[in-house]
Amino acid sequence: MVSTVHLRVLTLAVVVWLGLAPVLVAQSVCLPAPRLLTTMPMGGRAGAQVEVKITGENLEDVEQLAFSDARIAASSKPNAMGQPIPNEYIVTIAPDCPPGVYEARVMTRLGLSSSRVFSVSKLTEVNQKQPNTSLAMAMELPLNSICNGVASAKGIDHYVFEGRKGQRVIVDCATRGIDSKLDAVVVIGDAAGRDLLVERRGGALDFTVPEDGRYVIKVHDLTFKGGPAFFYRLGLWELPGDAPLVRQPSTQPVNSFSWPPAGLSEQPAVSETEPNNLPTQPQKISLPCDIAGSFFPAADVDLFEFEAQQGEEWWVEVASERLGRPTDPAILVQRVGNAGAGEALTDVAELSDIPSPVKVSSNGYAYDGPPYNAGSSDILGKLTIQESGVHRLRLSDLFGGTRSDPRNIYRLVIRKAAPDFALVAWALHMELRNGDRNALSKPIALRGGSTMALEVVVARRDGFDGEIDFMMEGFPDGVTAQGLKIPAGQSRGLILVTAHQEAPRSLANATIYGRAEIGGVTVTRPCRLASMAWPVPDSWGEIPSPRLLADMAVSVSGLEFAPITIAPSVSGVHEVVEGEQLKIPLMLIRRSEFSGAAMQLKTAGAGFERAPAFDVSLTADTSQAVFDLATLKAPPGDYLIGLYGSAVAKYRHRPDLIAAAEEARIAAEQEVKALEAEAQKLAEESSTASAESLPGIQMAAEMIAARQKAAVAALAAAADQVKKANDASQPKDIVDIVVSEPIAIRVKPAEKK
Amino acid sequence: MPHLNTPSRRTVRPFVLSSTIIALLLILVAARGASASEQPISFANDIMPLFTKAGCNVGVCHAKAGGGQNGFQLSLYGFEPQEDYDHLVKEGRGRRVSFAAPEQSLLLRKASGELPHGGGIRLDPSSESYNLLREWIRQGAPYQREQDATLIAFEVQPARMTIARQGEQQLTALAHYSDGRVRDVTRLALYESNDRDMAAVTDFGLVKILGASGNVAVMVRYQGKVAVFSASAPLGAPVDAMPVAKNFVDEHVFGNLRKLGIPPSSLCDDETFLRRVTLDIGGRLPTEEEAAAFLADASSDKRDRLIENLLRSPDYADYFANKWTALLKNRRDDASDIVANFAFHAWVRDSLLANKPYDQFVRELLAATGTVIGNPPVAWYKRVVEPKQQLEDVAQLFLGVRVQCAQCHHHPFERWSQDDYYSLSAFFTQVGRKPSGTRGEDLIFHKRGIATAVNIKTGAPKKPAALGDAVGDISADEDPRLRLADWMSNPNNPFFAKALVNRYWKHFFHRGLIEPEDDIRDTNPPTNPELLAALEQHFIASGFDLKELVRVITSSQAYQLSAVPNEFNVSDRQNYSRYYPRRLQAEVLLDAIDYVTSASTDFPSLPPGTRAVALPDNSYNRSSPFLRVFGRPEGESVCECERVQSSSLAQSLHLINAPDIKAKLAFPNGRAERLAKEDLPAETKVRSLYQAAFSREPRADELKTALDFLAEIPLDAAGQPVDAQRAARENFQDLVWALINTKEFLFNH
Repeated sequence: MVSTVHLRVLTLAVVVWLGLAPVLVAQSVCLPAPRLLTTMPMGGRAGAQVEVKITGENLEDVEQLAFSDARIAASSKPNAMGQPIPNEYIVTIAPDCPPGVYEARVMTRLGLSSSRVFSVSKLTEVNQKQPNTSLAMAMELPLNSICNGVASAKGIDHYVFEGRKGQRVIVDCATRGIDSKLDAVVVIGDAAGRDLLVERRGGALDFTVPEDGRYVIKVHDLTFKGGPAFFYRLGLWELPGDAPLVRQPSTQPVNSFSWPPAGLSEQPAVSETEPNNLPTQPQKISLPCDIAGSFFPAADVDLFEFEAQQGEEWWVEVASERLGRPTDPAILVQRVGNAGAGEALTDVAELSDIPSPVKVSSNGYAYDGPPYNAGSSDILGKLTIQESGVHRLRLSDLFGGTRSDPRNIYRLVIRKAAPDFALVAWALHMELRNGDRNALSKPIALRGGSTMALEVVVARRDGFDGEIDFMMEGFPDGVTAQGLKIPAGQSRGLILVTAHQEAPRSLANATIYGRAEIGGVTVTRPCRLASMAWPVPDSWGEIPSPRLLADMAVSVSGLEFAPITIAPSVSGVHEVVEGEQLKIPLMLIRRSEFSGAAMQLKTAGAGFERAPAFDVSLTADTSQAVFDLATLKAPPGDYLIGLYGSAVAKYRHRPDLIAAAEEARIAAEQEVKALEAEAQKLAEESSTASAESLPGIQMAAEMIAARQKAAVAALAAAADQVKKANDASQPKDIVDIVVSEPIAIRVKPAEKK
Repeated sequence: MPHLNTPSRRTVRPFVLSSTIIALLLILVAARGASASEQPISFANDIMPLFTKAGCNVGVCHAKAGGGQNGFQLSLYGFEPQEDYDHLVKEGRGRRVSFAAPEQSLLLRKASGELPHGGGIRLDPSSESYNLLREWIRQGAPYQREQDATLIAFEVQPARMTIARQGEQQLTALAHYSDGRVRDVTRLALYESNDRDMAAVTDFGLVKILGASGNVAVMVRYQGKVAVFSASAPLGAPVDAMPVAKNFVDEHVFGNLRKLGIPPSSLCDDETFLRRVTLDIGGRLPTEEEAAAFLADASSDKRDRLIENLLRSPDYADYFANKWTALLKNRRDDASDIVANFAFHAWVRDSLLANKPYDQFVRELLAATGTVIGNPPVAWYKRVVEPKQQLEDVAQLFLGVRVQCAQCHHHPFERWSQDDYYSLSAFFTQVGRKPSGTRGEDLIFHKRGIATAVNIKTGAPKKPAALGDAVGDISADEDPRLRLADWMSNPNNPFFAKALVNRYWKHFFHRGLIEPEDDIRDTNPPTNPELLAALEQHFIASGFDLKELVRVITSSQAYQLSAVPNEFNVSDRQNYSRYYPRRLQAEVLLDAIDYVTSASTDFPSLPPGTRAVALPDNSYNRSSPFLRVFGRPEGESVCECERVQSSSLAQSLHLINAPDIKAKLAFPNGRAERLAKEDLPAETKVRSLYQAAFSREPRADELKTALDFLAEIPLDAAGQPVDAQRAARENFQDLVWALINTKEFLFNH
């Protein structure tokens, strides 16, 4: 019988699997968002005009290519007839535009796209001439230039350059730092292509030419992947013998938002002085201090010694990983006492990583946190002196045992408490179905009637524990943003950005600030925005690459609307007496069909997050949210909340196009018919025409025939457009986050009896 | 039994109830003599050796892990006499011994066959051994008296001597006790020859030298102690015409040959040397152009320059990276391993290309920290997760020491105890892990704390010590693995350089000075100790320069001897009096066939033209029956023996008839098709084909055979002669096929 039971279970499992599989396949995640994925080239020289081709996702009716700096401007590239060529632009970079990375975006029907890095250099820029995947086809690369290229799958791109004996040549390939998916392997070989120097960890090659002659540069992906997403900017330049190597500019990792602390001077006061590895040779310092140093050579230990008094509290911060180095700093502070002839060491503090303020997604299958890590392997911690005396601080790199790289620098700051905070925000991700691990680039491109949630996370410094409120400015007309503050002692808040149904098509650069009372003073700090470089629908299969953005671009489509809007039926503040029940009538404006009859809503916003989830109907136009203040125990005060959940919309892509396409098809059909009639008429005329008029009729008939041919082709194309419009507008199940407009609540004190 | 799981030629053999041992037991007269009934009998000194000699305490009998046999457990080879005593006398409420009626003791009744015994009859009731056991029980089965002497040393006499071939020598095993007593334990000791083709040894220590000449060792064990008898068996032939020594390698190789009277073969010709050294350093055949240039070069240093060229080439890095990545277990078990595996392989390859000093290479590997992408040797910690596996791999691979046995018991052939094992494992106890963004991949860092491992047997905490050597106190903040790396790269380290030079020597000479190459121990001495010591010193003095080691080996005259034996050295397998041919390894052979057929093998996700020796991990074995059949390893073991170098019927059939070979012969625009189309004399074509396959010109008879064959017109299925173009194409395909099936092609010689 065991085997029968087993068989049944197996059968059931198969049935369940077969039953679920089509649903999972059919349902996609997140409504279409415009995404600029590649530009070719990926940058240009300051002062130059560059022809740029773009590709992307959901880039319909692209209007303009916009940049995060006014010194870069683009216009459409015209064809011979003066008409703009789709997806091709002429980009003009002002001569005074500093070298660096900038954000490029395109304004589309759905709004402003996600960003792609556009680099500005001071070198000659060339584009890769393909194919160059063999030594014989190697492309000539002049010294002091940057080549914009794309790696192909299983391909090795070959370049050649002329070198002079003794010349110092830098080969630096920008990839991950300019949003590419390429893990570049860069090789310098001799003229026969035999490898001389190899770099596979994203570093630059510093090459001293051994003999006059031709040298080969090979570029490929670590695992030989390739395609449009695997682009690179291969820099080749000469450098004087002792000049420092400055890499090509690159984007910033998310966790660098928390560095530097406000007011930190650009240059540190003190430099680390070697030798300071042994207890007998510590570097003497006095607190407070601000020291620059390096984890070099391998297994470097830096010892600092200072006097401190019992009860003193110091804050210790180290930046190294946040400076872009692959390090893991660790600090041990010990009190140095006497023990006979020797010294007695007492551990006072052990400091290592800065944990992420919120739980980060693990690399398991299930979604268990945002795919952004605001933590760091750097250090930020408190040092409390237990006993007066000499203290020794030992700073080392837990990743540095065997690596000798002088670029692994750090900055060590020890200060009296300077309570402060830094903020970073990103588009809210949440579990949209079982095990969903999407990590999508989500531009703030709003549909009318939609509310988008940004998750804001705070890095608190030096014991600051207070609540943080938000201020916004620069949002486009018809767009409002309200912050669900970060309560005291907590790390997370939300910002709800709402485009009203009538919001006009627009784009703007917005700014969000956090505001808090610190020591009786109101302090405001800017909030950085982070985004994914690529839409990664399954981060189980591809590791997402988030980064900080240079700005916060907000746009409104004006042409497409949210499938559903959830808002309080009555605007204004909803008042309730402490301990009583609050009922908030909701209106649901549906602009789409939905799969399923109801959706579940949870509540975000301090004081109300413990409210139980409740269902709202996806077929009714009204509903209500009910809060039991007795259970929530929210004390009197003003609150702002949002309701959120997910729903599967039956998304139809531009059904309006069907009618237009059909109209065009009818017109094309009429044209065909008219020409047929004309041809018929000519045929009849020719049967009765005189010999002299025949050549004229013949000529007219030929012209008609040519027009007929073109009209038939036009009809076929128009019919094809109708079919495409029909196909595209077929309802497609798409699950997405639904967030209500913010709801203001005032809890009034209960009357004392 | 860890040593049973370790691929090795020297695994413990399953216990066989050999008639020899039965006979031995039945007639055994204990060396202790007739005074047994008069003197107190010691369990440790007198009784345990009986069990060991009788084979009662081997791994498949009562020393089997997890309870022994039938509830009665003994320690392996009697390394734990106190425990054995407790099992025997106290366990089971003393049912195994009967003091009142010693003959009724379960121990005696089972061992003598009076009661059924799975191990058969081990003791004849009339033997001295039986009497000794009975008397011991009668005395109350004492463990030993306080004043009893303990075994402190063990020796074999003679320790070293020269024996003529077919000659014999009786060994004498002597046990030294703490009271100064010396006891002859020849009949109780255990004997094992390290080269059974050279020397046989009986259970009683009679050594017989067989047909071959050279050096051989016999390991003699008694009560946890070992001694070695080394014999030299000279051939005694005249050795007047010895090549002039070019470097110290020659001095030691030829010195040994002179001592043994084995005249070496002559030096090989240029064609042979070119092919040999290109295969051994670059893992590929020389190109026709290289062959033509080398053969035309009349300068005297051209062999040295060829070696330099090969060492500079990426081929060297690719070929040796292939060797190391398999030993370092660069396995693809999951599709997501690809990044780690590629990065790790590339790190090995780039390190070799840059000629990173070997000690630095090992340091970066064993003390790796960070992420795989940031620091690729971290990938080793992804593959080798457990500290005990880490220490075992490091010991075997980099020190040539197999310590696996010592995890559970004292190493039977070595001085390594369980304390040594756990002291070594302590170096790896502070390896911290943090999850990374990549599934199945951790960040590796030094976890602050005092490194300590617990001896599971004694429960004693052990601080790091490197195979018995103290490394000083290691603070909580210091990564102990760095201290282990320091110890390894110390010029006085007795293992580190030796293990590497022996491994590389084997790469070029096809036999290690110590065999197996990763089983270096006192009881397995090298066949040419002076040479091994000189190589070791040279390697250390060069700053652990791997290319220099390859240079000194391959530029020696010894390496450049012909593979063709003379009348005296045909049976020499260990003194390097000639080059020992070896079949090309799987990857090299596949590349060689691709070269000769002008075909290429496509590997998933790799650029066209990627050579098999440059494959990053084992995953390509799945898609290549060729690589599997010819024994490409899967990266499961740190032992080179995982690579199958033996020949098999499957290999022959594959070369003769497999679809991939056929496809290569008929490869579009391949060599056969090209030769068929080219407007050149047939003789020129045959010469070029021989150059490609063998790096030499064809002999006159070979040329004639080939030309005669090419002139034949094959018949089609209907028995009709095929057209001339097809005939030429098929004939060249057949000729290429014939050449790649020759031993000359398949072997490096």
